[in-house]
Amino acid sequence: METLDRSRLQDPVYMAQQIAACEKEIQKGIIGQGGIIRQVMLAMLTGGNVLLEGMPGLGKTRLVSTIGRVFDLSFKRIQFTPDLMPSDVTGTNIIIKNEQGSSFSFERGPIFSNLILADEINRATPKTQSALLEAMQEHTVTVGNDSHALKEPFFVLATQNPIENEGTYPLPEAQLDRFMFKILVRFPSKEELKGIVALTEGSEAPVIEKQMDGEGLLAARTLVNQIPIADAVMNYLLEIVMETHAPNPYIREGASPRAAQSLIRAARAKAFLEGRFNVSFQDVKEAAYPVLRHRIIAGFDAISKGITEDEIIKNILDAKSALFEKI
Amino acid sequence: MEKKEFLKIIQTCRRRMNIAQFLEKSATALSISAGVGILFQAVALLVPLYYVNIYSGLALILGEVSVFIVMVIKRTTMEQAAFKMDRFGFEERIATAYENLDKEGTLVGLQREDAMKALQAHRDRIRISIWPSWKKAILCFSLLILLVGLSLIPSVAKDRAKELYSLKGEVKEKEEEIEEMLEALEQLQQEELTEKQQEALNDMAQSLEASLSEYQQAVSQEMLEAASQKLNYKYQDMSGQLSEIMQEIQDGANLSLATADALKAMEDRMKHSQGNGVNKEQGSSGEENGKDGSGRQGQDGDGNSDNGNGQEGQNGDGNSGNGNGQGSQGGNGQHGNGDAGNAPGNGAGNGSVNSPHDYVSVPNEIADSENLTGNAANHDTSEYFRAQNGLSWEGTHTSYDAVIGSYEQNAYEGIAAGRYPSGMEEIIKEYFASFN
Repeated sequence: METLDRSRLQDPVYMAQQIAACEKEIQKGIIGQGGIIRQVMLAMLTGGNVLLEGMPGLGKTRLVSTIGRVFDLSFKRIQFTPDLMPSDVTGTNIIIKNEQGSSFSFERGPIFSNLILADEINRATPKTQSALLEAMQEHTVTVGNDSHALKEPFFVLATQNPIENEGTYPLPEAQLDRFMFKILVRFPSKEELKGIVALTEGSEAPVIEKQMDGEGLLAARTLVNQIPIADAVMNYLLEIVMETHAPNPYIREGASPRAAQSLIRAARAKAFLEGRFNVSFQDVKEAAYPVLRHRIIAGFDAISKGITEDEIIKNILDAKSALFEKI
Repeated sequence: MEKKEFLKIIQTCRRRMNIAQFLEKSATALSISAGVGILFQAVALLVPLYYVNIYSGLALILGEVSVFIVMVIKRTTMEQAAFKMDRFGFEERIATAYENLDKEGTLVGLQREDAMKALQAHRDRIRISIWPSWKKAILCFSLLILLVGLSLIPSVAKDRAKELYSLKGEVKEKEEEIEEMLEALEQLQQEELTEKQQEALNDMAQSLEASLSEYQQAVSQEMLEAASQKLNYKYQDMSGQLSEIMQEIQDGANLSLATADALKAMEDRMKHSQGNGVNKEQGSSGEENGKDGSGRQGQDGDGNSDNGNGQEGQNGDGNSGNGNGQGSQGGNGQHGNGDAGNAPGNGAGNGSVNSPHDYVSVPNEIADSENLTGNAANHDTSEYFRAQNGLSWEGTHTSYDAVIGSYEQNAYEGIAAGRYPSGMEEIIKEYFASFN
């Protein structure tokens, strides 16, 4: 059922309503992960990629497939294993024999989809990881001498298991930086679990309807990028990123400039999702955790005291908020 | 909502924020200034500080002026006012709209519209109090009350400060007077005078400079009075000398009219100053001394000796009865004292002299006592202590300058009265001049 009015793709109010409707539709298929859905929506609205960290069976695949259905986007799941080769992800040239003779033809890999679920990305070798990360960054795949553009919108949702370390290849910091968000997926509450069981084990599966398409999502992204930010809010945002580089016994390495870009985009997207056309301090605060937690490298003191990245970020936010409260 | 109205609301908030900041900062500044003032007042209870109230007032004024300057430099901007308004649940809508007020664009326009709509709907949420926190206000008020209270508490140091202040005023007045005299002396055409006349004028100048130095060193009323008496005598002497010079001029007619006029003017001025000085002293210190003399009669009789006058009275009483004490009512008993030790009959006569001194006269037979310390060479003040008939008494300490001043005055009086053999006057003058 086509619900999107294409003549109103440039209408911010209408598009904000449509995006909100998409979020609502996704929530029909996913129980109790409102925060995760919101953050994934933010990443989609800004063209960023997401790294999900959590236990298996928390509905990650279901989330991506639901998003694909709501946004009418093609979806592929790649299970990363140590023997997975880059060509298994990107595709490869194969010899084709026909009447004219033999020739090479590029056989596209699973990456040529709008939505990719890279499951347990840290199980693949760095070479394979790199193939995916290059595609995430450039939105192109190079095989041999030919570069192939990926479909737009292109969105990668990678997962990694925080517990099992044996036989894994943890992502290097530089590659982690390419993920816009790192989202921690917590175990659902009893009530949420009850809802999940009822939803998945019941006789009637919820009907998820298409609300938008790739074109609409790209139009929404354009609008999000135009949302104005007040100088003080921008200063606050930059101060937060700069503070990660200030002398701090708990931080070994601070966030990259890409963090500031991601933070701006995420804050804008959050405002847009809430039907607001300006960025607030609160938007920045909320976006700071998923944007910064994988970009800050905790120091020895933090590790030895069991202080998490989120706690470090909270301290920074509190300190900076106090300063900006004085305005 | 129109842009104009939108701006007006922000402007109103800005004004209230400025007032609030001013009051808040004023309370802080007044508290600090009052603290400083309290410190001044506390110091003034122990140390003489005549201008302490002015300093305290200045601290308060300085605090307020600082606040005013800070407020001018750091006054609330429209952006800050807009952000403040956003604190009341507008989620930075107003600040963003204000910053983009003149920009065009779909989203910017929508944002502005959204902000104005929100402001119109929830304007009543904005409540900016102009009053400082009650804790700060109470602190400020309490400190101010404490400051006023401290300024009203009387103390010895405060009285001393007043005394020193009036002393300074008098010293300054006298210094100016002497400097004028010295200037007038310098301006005289000395080449038209004879060598002797020039020498006399130089002596006058030196003598006046010595008096100037005495005034500058005066740190008590007694020293001031001693210096004044000496100066009066000098004026008297100098006016006599000037008269003589004038007489010589009339006889010889060897001077220019200008020099003669200048000499005449100086003589008049000295007479005038002398008259003023005498009147002033008689009016103030004479009255004081009179009070002292009578007030201390009882004390003297009891043998108490808190000060020079009292001791002298005691001496006088011991030797010559009440004559001295009574005599000191007109001036003081010092002279009576000095003489009383040696010649009881002189008490009354000397007591009538208007020359109050508070040093202890040391009888000749014990003048070389080892209890007497100090020497003239290094201008130290001597100490004298004596046990007599089982009673201990101690002389009041008088500074070297006052003692020398007193003796010098007596010597000059003696010269004026012709008590010394002729030809000795210059030797006496040189002797005393060597101390200055």
